[in-house]
Amino acid sequence: MSSPHEPQPDEAQPSFTTQLKEQLWDPVAGFGVTFRTMFRKVVTEEYPKVKKPTAPRFHGRHQLNRYPDGLEKCIGCELCAWACPADAIYVEGAQNTEDERYSPGERYGAVYQINYLRCILCGLCIEACPTRALTMTNFYELADDNREALIYEKSELLAPLLPGMEQPPHAMLLGEDEGDYYRGMFAPPPGDRAAAPTSTPETSSATPPAPRTARKAAR
Amino acid sequence: MTIPPLTPVLTDNWDAERSWTLASYEERGGYDALDTAFAMTPDEVIAAVKDSGLRGRGGAGFPTGMKWGFIPQDNPNPKYLVVNADESEPGTCKDIPLMMASPHTLVEGVILAAYAIRANHAFIYVRGEVLHVVRRLQRAVQEAYLAGHLGANIHGSGYQLDLVVHAGAGAYICGEETALLDSLEGRRGQPRLRPPFPAVAGLYASPTVINNVESIASVPAIIRNGADWFSSLGTEKSKGFVIYSLSGHVTRPGQYEAPLGITLRELIDLAGGVREGHRLKFWTPGGSSTPLLTDEHLDMPLDYEAVGAAGSMLGTRALQIFDETVSVVRCVLRWTEFYKHESCGKCTPCREGTWWLVQTLTRIDEGKGEPGDIEKLLDLCDNILGRSFCALGDGATSPITSAIKYFRSEFEDGMTTPSRELFPHERSTAYAGQLAGKGVGA
Amino acid sequence: MTTTPERTATDLVTVTIDGVSVDVPKDTLVIRAAEQVGVQIPRFCDHPLLAPVGACRQCLVDVPDAGNGRALPKPQASCTLPVADGMVVNTQLTSGVADKAQQGVMELLLINHPLDCPVCDKGGECPLQNQAMSNGRGDSRFEGVKRTFPKPIHLSPQVLLDRERCIVCQRCTRFAEEVAGDPFISLVERGARQQIGIAEDAPFLSYFAGNTIQICPVGALTSEAYRFRSRPFDLVSSPGVAEHDACGAAIRVDHRRGKVMRRLSGDDPEVNEEWISDKDRFAFRYLTATDRLPYPQVRGDDGVLHPASWPEAFAVAARGLATARAAGGVGVLTGGRLTFEDAYAYSVFARVALGTNDVDFRARPHSDEETGFLGAHVAASGPVAGRRGVTYGDLEGARTVVLVGLEPEDEAGTIFLRLRKASRKGTTVLSVAPYLTRGADKVRALLVPTAPGEEGAVLRGLADRAEELAGSALGDQDVVLVGERLATSPGALTAAAELAAATGARLAWVPRRAGDRGAVEAGCLPTLLPGGRPVADASARVDAAAAWGVGSLPETPGRDAAAIAAAAAAGELAGLVVGGVDPDDTTDPATTRAALAAASFVVSLELRASEVTEHADVVLPIAPVTDKAGSFVTWEGRVRPFDAVFTVPGSLPDLRVLAGIAEELGTPLGFRTVDEARDQIEALGTWDGERPAAPVPAPAAPPAAHPASGGVVLALSTWRQLLDGGSLQDGDDALTQTRRPAVARLGQTAYDALGAPAEVTLHGDRGTLTLPVEVVRTMVDGVVWVPARSVGRGLLADLAGPGARLRVTAGGAL
Repeated sequence: MSSPHEPQPDEAQPSFTTQLKEQLWDPVAGFGVTFRTMFRKVVTEEYPKVKKPTAPRFHGRHQLNRYPDGLEKCIGCELCAWACPADAIYVEGAQNTEDERYSPGERYGAVYQINYLRCILCGLCIEACPTRALTMTNFYELADDNREALIYEKSELLAPLLPGMEQPPHAMLLGEDEGDYYRGMFAPPPGDRAAAPTSTPETSSATPPAPRTARKAAR
Repeated sequence: MTIPPLTPVLTDNWDAERSWTLASYEERGGYDALDTAFAMTPDEVIAAVKDSGLRGRGGAGFPTGMKWGFIPQDNPNPKYLVVNADESEPGTCKDIPLMMASPHTLVEGVILAAYAIRANHAFIYVRGEVLHVVRRLQRAVQEAYLAGHLGANIHGSGYQLDLVVHAGAGAYICGEETALLDSLEGRRGQPRLRPPFPAVAGLYASPTVINNVESIASVPAIIRNGADWFSSLGTEKSKGFVIYSLSGHVTRPGQYEAPLGITLRELIDLAGGVREGHRLKFWTPGGSSTPLLTDEHLDMPLDYEAVGAAGSMLGTRALQIFDETVSVVRCVLRWTEFYKHESCGKCTPCREGTWWLVQTLTRIDEGKGEPGDIEKLLDLCDNILGRSFCALGDGATSPITSAIKYFRSEFEDGMTTPSRELFPHERSTAYAGQLAGKGVGA
Repeated sequence: MTTTPERTATDLVTVTIDGVSVDVPKDTLVIRAAEQVGVQIPRFCDHPLLAPVGACRQCLVDVPDAGNGRALPKPQASCTLPVADGMVVNTQLTSGVADKAQQGVMELLLINHPLDCPVCDKGGECPLQNQAMSNGRGDSRFEGVKRTFPKPIHLSPQVLLDRERCIVCQRCTRFAEEVAGDPFISLVERGARQQIGIAEDAPFLSYFAGNTIQICPVGALTSEAYRFRSRPFDLVSSPGVAEHDACGAAIRVDHRRGKVMRRLSGDDPEVNEEWISDKDRFAFRYLTATDRLPYPQVRGDDGVLHPASWPEAFAVAARGLATARAAGGVGVLTGGRLTFEDAYAYSVFARVALGTNDVDFRARPHSDEETGFLGAHVAASGPVAGRRGVTYGDLEGARTVVLVGLEPEDEAGTIFLRLRKASRKGTTVLSVAPYLTRGADKVRALLVPTAPGEEGAVLRGLADRAEELAGSALGDQDVVLVGERLATSPGALTAAAELAAATGARLAWVPRRAGDRGAVEAGCLPTLLPGGRPVADASARVDAAAAWGVGSLPETPGRDAAAIAAAAAAGELAGLVVGGVDPDDTTDPATTRAALAAASFVVSLELRASEVTEHADVVLPIAPVTDKAGSFVTWEGRVRPFDAVFTVPGSLPDLRVLAGIAEELGTPLGFRTVDEARDQIEALGTWDGERPAAPVPAPAAPPAAHPASGGVVLALSTWRQLLDGGSLQDGDDALTQTRRPAVARLGQTAYDALGAPAEVTLHGDRGTLTLPVEVVRTMVDGVVWVPARSVGRGLLADLAGPGARLRVTAGGAL
């Protein structure tokens, strides 16, 4: 290392070209990035005015799926709750009866809550689900102004009723017993039922879920 | 080939007019052995049976006299004699004809055996399905009572014995001696934990001897003719005479009584040879639960040791003869279905294992076997053999492992071809000849 | 395993398990010996409290040396193989053969198992699940068709069976036959279709049926009460003590979010082993009953109860009690649900704050004779007083156990199970009772036929007859158990004490309720102070007064429960403090009701709205057992402490409430918490002075029969069945359905005399009752048995008082 007191040629006498560069070029060059960028494609996302689609496997809000006749796939086994590293899921099982059936088989999830204040959207829950009842959508707008509203109930998590689905409770329409459901041994729901008026209004779109305002109104 | 000498002892009176009646039996010196025995002490009777070298005829071949000697005579409980007449093994058919033709031979044997072990109650546990045999036995016992051979003070000896004929309810497992005892006590027939052994705590928790029909039926002849006469028959370690039951593809199936050590070749000759126009493919030496053997074992002496050395068991000498028209896969499947149906359900390997074996064998039989199925069968058998509670589970695996040992290629064919195509069922039947004439059989 | 005295000295043998040498007692099973060296051999059918069966074959081990130098040819089931000296055992850890055998059996077990773990209640705590992970193959080679059954069948209204999950290990059937003595379930069918079944018309109605659910190693047996309610990994388990009887059974309370989801048996070899009754297991829904009192209430001038704060309620209660104390006095009535510490608080509260000995815990028929008996023979005995008492182990080791006025199956389930175990090992049980009950039959009891009221006379003769009856004379190895019902049989308790004194047999008093024995120790009796101190003894009073920091204590013995009720009804007592008493349980429900109505000021400490709270001026909700710490004292005198399961700040135990009132009265009790109360109890200690002598009872006149005409006159024998109309059993419908039906049991003579009716009507001085008839061959002539609380409000309210003679007529009520 040279000593700072040792005179250097450039330091002592800057050359003319150097002076010219410093005084004329450098101030303009500083805007180079700016100018260059002005002619490039804008990367800023116009959220929330424009909503960009996520990656297909993006871990967004959960959804509780249904069989084609509207019965719930959830059996209330609580494995999702057990798998959850953030303890964000709470489930209570209950027994289906012949008169009041929510899912094929004996057991269904009577209470299903996901606390999105805790959820880290890691997806371990959907891996644990033995019936593929719980999957994740691409919906990511999980914000609110109060804590209570961020605990989603089963009614909010359930997939909307598609054409041909009927709001449970109702009997198993697709097969003789739960085995037919589990093995997927059922015919697609008959078209005439899709056309027939059902007890609940059908929602046309599956995802994204109902907007926030509707959720609040539903409360 | 010389026809070997037959020694009718047990079957000696079978050709007599109404051989099952007391009159017919007594005519030939029946019940005389009682007086001989009553002149001896019970211990002398046991010693005579020990000296004779009589071994249990029910399959295991345990020396009968030694079994009687195990009964603790200082036990204050009553002693019991139970005759195991629950003959249900596929292929085994020696006790039922014996009881049918000459029930009094058994009754006389029971009296002698009970006297030897100092029992005052004896039971004959007969398979329930053979109602005709049950009736004949009951009649024989009634006759014996009326003639003073049973009841109080038999033949004026002061010895008292009551004999009960009990009909089972149709369960193979009740041929297992402890399950038989449970069944006899009125419970569900399932094998008991041993120890305690029946000799110490058997029927009603009292010392009990359980013997096969043929073992007991052999006793009168031993008492009558002496232990030396008996031990002069048979081979060095397997003494005496037994009934060989030939069934299947032989010209004259039936019961052939001969000294132990006779060969299958001799027996088949006696029976008129293998079915006309066919040759021996495989056979069982002692019922379906003994590993099957092939024609290479034709000249093996049929005694306990030689058959054991060949990797099988003499068992009940139920010689089922199968000719080359028979699919060994289908045969083994049928046997395994029997074991599945008859498994009592107490222990896991037998209960679940037979369920699984049947499914895998069915697949092979239908030509839908998959690579690895044979190894799976062998491994399954390994997981059942010696792991089950009683011998039923072991017995269920013997035909499979031995069949794969000798006829592996047939199992391999089951990966592609149903056994029905390779071995049309019709060709094995008794009417195969007629069918062939009509061009039905392949 | 249970430790019993005679098992201490046994021969030891040395075995080598997985290369580790260990000394174990002779006849130990290999599977237990392996546990000693820390080797867990997987198992299903094996249970330490059941006889070995060797059914599941999961515990196979390799035995290269059976102790005689020879190897055993096949893998052996370690649950049925006793150790032998020099035996060498290789488990799955060191033997490939054993490991393969175990994996093979596990694979076979799983082929017909539905693997529906996600919906199975056992999932997460399932031995099959766990051992399939630890000792099974990673995957199954089975691709065939599984055996299936239609979904669950009811073995009883409470117990359900999923047959396809069952691995037929026979634990349940063996429990039912060996332990409970109720062989209503059995194996049916065979092979892979073998299953557990019941006879068509005989459901699995055992008082101990719930234990089969707990010991089931798969999820085949489930309860209606818990089916699909929650998952084990979601539950928090807290140890507890059963509050339904005086047996002190250890339980495990499983709860979630402040709510009890289920209760299981705890494991206490010295008390309940691993078994509890169905009442202990399923009767907990009362905790969440809708009529639980949420907050203190004070009766306003408008005559209606208004919500109040705790301080306000304390102040109003204190004011009212002070007035009532001045106006004639206050009586304290407590019930059977109190913990030892709570009972102590009532005892101190009566003496210190109310200045009276009018305190009695006996919310049931009682007598002066009993009061004396409790003071002389029960109080300050047993471990609670630092003395040796009669224990469960003593029952098991006894030659003869005499039961008087006690039906263990109904009144003390744990004693019943222990007696059954003892009787199977040779103990003789003598039952002094009017007939041989089914419960007595199950403990192989010999009946000493005794009409109600004759117990005293029979006991006086028993010392001479014991040898003839039981095969050996009574001695110090033998136990006499007297039930609380004996209070209604004049002279019986005295005779029992005399019998014990004369023969050396050991005597124990068995109350029915959990808090009773503790209440005796705590001095909730008119003649006793805590620790067995007689009120009449001046030095005993000084003891207690010093501990409580007061100058003196009331000297005169107080009134008992019946007398308190009578005095209040007559206006002699102005106030009542009532804690957990149901008027229908008391000697005379009508008088108790009149007392509640007549008393000018009533303070009720209650869990749920009741008839008492309707009359109360101040209603103070108190904490249920789950919300408070405390202890129950068992009939043995064993203290069974437990901690609070839940922390509920507003849920106060009785002692805190009483402390609050006492402080408002200006006479603090000296404790506010359970720990402080325990410290004070310990500081006070047990009375070591002279015990009060039991008074000699005057012979009672035989009660007159009801004057209705016709029929026959029969003496009433009665007790409460385990499952009946008790309020702590509310809320579980399935449990209610497992109650035994209420019938009137008659002997053949009376039955014939009535003309063989299908039902009879009983006429008593308090009402009539019509019940179906059951003829009992062993019934003593002239006696009818009716369950005490199984119909309506119970016999005391609806039929007759204790020791009554009834007129019985055929057919329905006219």
